[in-house]
Amino acid sequence: MTLSSENDRELLRAYHGRGDLEARERLIEQYLPLVRSLARRYSYRGELLEDLVQVGCIGLIKAIDRFDVDRGVELTTYATPNIIGEIKRHFRDKGWSVRVPRGLQELNVRLSRLIEELTVQLERSPTIPELAKAAGVQEEEVLEALETGQAYATLSLSAPSGGDENDDLDPLESLGEIEHEYEVSEDRAVLAPGLRVLDERERRILQLRFFDGLTQSQIAQQIGISQMHVSRLIRRSLEKIRNEVAADNGGPASQTARG
Amino acid sequence: MTDAIKLTIPHQKSYYGVVRLVVGGLAARLDLSYESLEDLQLALESLLGNEAYASGDDVTVELSLGPGSIQMLVGPLDGARLRPDLAAADGDEEGVSLGRLLATVVGDVRLEERDGGHWVRLEKRTAGSGSSA
Repeated sequence: MTLSSENDRELLRAYHGRGDLEARERLIEQYLPLVRSLARRYSYRGELLEDLVQVGCIGLIKAIDRFDVDRGVELTTYATPNIIGEIKRHFRDKGWSVRVPRGLQELNVRLSRLIEELTVQLERSPTIPELAKAAGVQEEEVLEALETGQAYATLSLSAPSGGDENDDLDPLESLGEIEHEYEVSEDRAVLAPGLRVLDERERRILQLRFFDGLTQSQIAQQIGISQMHVSRLIRRSLEKIRNEVAADNGGPASQTARG
Repeated sequence: MTDAIKLTIPHQKSYYGVVRLVVGGLAARLDLSYESLEDLQLALESLLGNEAYASGDDVTVELSLGPGSIQMLVGPLDGARLRPDLAAADGDEEGVSLGRLLATVVGDVRLEERDGGHWVRLEKRTAGSGSSA
């Protein structure tokens, strides 16, 4: 047991055993850097870091209050998922950049799966009427639900990437995942400052789509994510580059996605 | 009667969703694949979502259906800004230029002068029902 975890236990015992609120305060202060570090990874556009830190603190406080000193687990181990869980809940409630009715969000997720299934079944990308039929909804509803994905894409613009298929539901699911190593042309990234804002997977996807000529569904197969997710990542990457180029030029983006 | 739709919107990102829905409706009518719809929307987004290409307050999108293809005319846009970005389709290995993007997702791309302004004409082949072309 490390010195710091021993110190944690003393403080936890003081709080849980004697109701020492000062000990609780000290624990909260001690773990604020952890909350801040986790919150920083999700400081989305429109979501102030300080707001997320506040939300994360609620998770931390819950963890401290519920912690069982006798379980032999360190507070860090117990607190981290609690803090993330609280931030996740916050995003689940407020995550969509435009308020999207729950039904449409769910249809969007269902469509993502149906596109995969039908692409395999039909050996080509499905049409809107085919999707509508498979989902048992009107074509207009399919279009509307697909459009809701754009609200999500806006949100996920500055979301941490390197996540997996769960990004379709919750970008925070990607937390803690190990980045895949892709054989990306780093030369291009070095040459194009705009591309430096992208992570390896994003650069890889742009390479496959715009330089190697693969379709979205082919990329989806190769990377192991859904086609809808590929589409989102392409949009997000292009917009990231546009914003980066615009920031460099001190004005609106003059090039679509060129560094 | 021509099978065409003409839409004029403020050249602002917030209005782009309207165009997306219209294109989606057309795609459904044409039996275009989801993938083709995505390509069309990405092409339009690259022009409409970039306010640097705006030439005035409004921008018009004309969508027309030809035999085996869908044509989109977008304008008026800032020709001086567009020309170098469109020309970068070939040999540009430094990033994803507008030219490369449009050539990939649509195919035929032309910059035209019309009514004293610059318009981009995009044509995407649609090889029939469920095409992913």
